[in-house]
Amino acid sequence: MPADRVGWHTVDSSQTTILAGSNPEVHMSQSYDRGLVENFGRWTEFSAGMWAWVFHKFTGWVLIGYLFTHIAVLSTAIEGASMYNGTLQGLEALLIVRFMEVGLLAVAVFHILNGVRLLFVDLGLGLDAQDKSFYASLILTGAIAVASIPTFLGGAF
Amino acid sequence: MAEHYTSFSRDDTRWLLQRVTAVFLVGVLAFHFMLLHFVHHAYEITLAGTTARMSQPGYFITMVSFLIAGTFHGVNGVYNALVNQGIEGTPRTIVKYGLIIVSLLLIAQGIRVAWAMTGGQLI
Amino acid sequence: MSTHVSESESEAQAGTDQQTTDRPAAQQRRLEKKRASNDQREQADSSTETDEETVHLKVFRYDPEVKDKQEPRFDDFHVPAKKGMTVLDALIYSRDHYDSSLTFRHSCRQAICGSDALFINGSQRLGCQTQIDELDQPVRVEPLPHQEVVKDLVVDMEHFYDQMDTVEPYFQEEDLPSGLDEQRQDRENREKIKMSTRCIWCGACMSSCNIAAGGNYLGPAAINKAYRFVMDEREGEDLKQQRLETIEEEQGVWRCQTQFSCTNVCPKDIPLTEHIQELKREAVKNNLKFW
Ligand code: HEM
Ligand code: HEM
Ligand code: SF4
Ligand code: FES
Repeated sequence: MPADRVGWHTVDSSQTTILAGSNPEVHMSQSYDRGLVENFGRWTEFSAGMWAWVFHKFTGWVLIGYLFTHIAVLSTAIEGASMYNGTLQGLEALLIVRFMEVGLLAVAVFHILNGVRLLFVDLGLGLDAQDKSFYASLILTGAIAVASIPTFLGGAF
Repeated sequence: MAEHYTSFSRDDTRWLLQRVTAVFLVGVLAFHFMLLHFVHHAYEITLAGTTARMSQPGYFITMVSFLIAGTFHGVNGVYNALVNQGIEGTPRTIVKYGLIIVSLLLIAQGIRVAWAMTGGQLI
Repeated sequence: MSTHVSESESEAQAGTDQQTTDRPAAQQRRLEKKRASNDQREQADSSTETDEETVHLKVFRYDPEVKDKQEPRFDDFHVPAKKGMTVLDALIYSRDHYDSSLTFRHSCRQAICGSDALFINGSQRLGCQTQIDELDQPVRVEPLPHQEVVKDLVVDMEHFYDQMDTVEPYFQEEDLPSGLDEQRQDRENREKIKMSTRCIWCGACMSSCNIAAGGNYLGPAAINKAYRFVMDEREGEDLKQQRLETIEEEQGVWRCQTQFSCTNVCPKDIPLTEHIQELKREAVKNNLKFW
């Protein structure tokens, strides 16, 4: 494949206007670089299925990251009660941790709901409602996260 | 051809296990959150409480299964994502065995912790 | 440069007269949309004088052999609007009247040949199947994303065709059922593969898929082709196993992330994601049998 062919570019250019009957005029413009970003450069055009994919990925990574941290923190149990209680209660006393836990809940809830949606997609069930079920997952996630704030922040202030 | 299909590393096996663990995780993860945020508040957790739960065999087995299923599901998910990004050849082999080792370590540590949490009183 | 006014009208009529039951949902939806836009068009026609209006196109230009066009740019064309005008009609008009170097592929003008899949206002569509009056203006016309641009709107389809060839997209059974000298297919089986046979190799699906972009993923069209033959009962068990093995390769069905991008853009309304998912399950079932 000759190197001088261009690949995909999003070009925003100074434009030539060719009115009916006039001759074409020529103007130069710059082109964007190719690269990984180019796919995500089009994020405004993503459809429901694409967003679901992006969010599922993100939440999956957060969860596995959390699992490693979680086991590390719980490992204090090996050192005995005062260490364990001290660490957990020390963490829970931090307001930032409380907020992060709400975030974690939201992440987990979305991953679960969209995960169930994906399981249905895998079974070939309800494919026509795949976009609606994604929006429903989002809305439910939001609602559950908001509703849990009192419980999660309880006693933190 | 049959022997070809018994290999455990086939892509379809990992695909299926990813879904099977997902089904299991739906239940336990929801249960875990309910239990440790709504039934018991997270800020009230003490080792005594943890021990009381963990020394019940059913709970212990559930948590260890949770640990194993979650680790497989999460790490396999990460591996799939990297394969989708087009990782190949040596880097891929390194990543693959790296992830396997990390998972085994996590599971081992998790079980050690879970055992310590029982306070040696698993009935 | 004919705008097929009369054609589209008779088509609209056929659309309304036909029974709407028993049709796949996507097709149903498309017909409804079509009907709605036809109604709209009729209303618009009675109130405005269409030939006074112009259509504003912004067209991607690139030509490695012309110094001024080595850097991609967009050109603007203002084309007199016609009733029933498609994006392809507008492009043809622009080429014939303003700039004879404007390059794009087209042939059938009726969504059959698959030559004119383009990136129109941010999504993959056939130029000949896309009515101008359904689009916001200016209408941005670009070559298919994720393929190398050869010239203007023409992209290199080589990779796409290679992927199609991988699945050996032709009927292969040699054995004839005893007592017959033809391969007969029963109605249910024909119905099962019906949608999958409609592919026109336009490449829109492949272009819309961000997993296929830049990688070696077999892609929706090729997998759909494989589906068409895997599910065809006239091909024997051995062939089926062979075909399943191909789509189970690492770059086969497992790469699909069920984003539905391909299903959303397919101009023939093929339920691509559904077919890919069914093949995944088929592969799993098939391999479980051997345990
Ligand atoms: C902020 C929310 C969470 C809190 C407060 C929490 C708290 C705990 C506590 C206190 C234990 C010890 C067992 C017990 O006391 O019953 C535990 C165990 C466990 N948690 Fe969580 N957890 C949370 C979220 C998660 C999430 C999101 C995951 C999955 C990614 C997870 C996975 C586990 C596992 C696998 C164990 C068992 C550990 C082992 O076997 O050593 N937890 N969690
Ligand atoms: C609670 C129920 C859960 C369900 C229903 C679920 C469902 C799923 C499904 C179906 C996928 C596959 C997506 C695909 O391959 O197309 C997936 C991916 C993933 N999951 Fe889960 N999951 C759950 C819990 C978890 C947990 C606890 C973790 C972390 C420990 C996790 C981490 C991941 C990761 C990292 C991925 C890969 C994301 C990617 O593609 O980059 N999931 N999940
Ligand atoms: S499956 Fe649809 S979008 Fe893909 S090549 Fe065939 S007709 Fe075009
Ligand atoms: S010109 Fe043949 S499909 Fe559009």
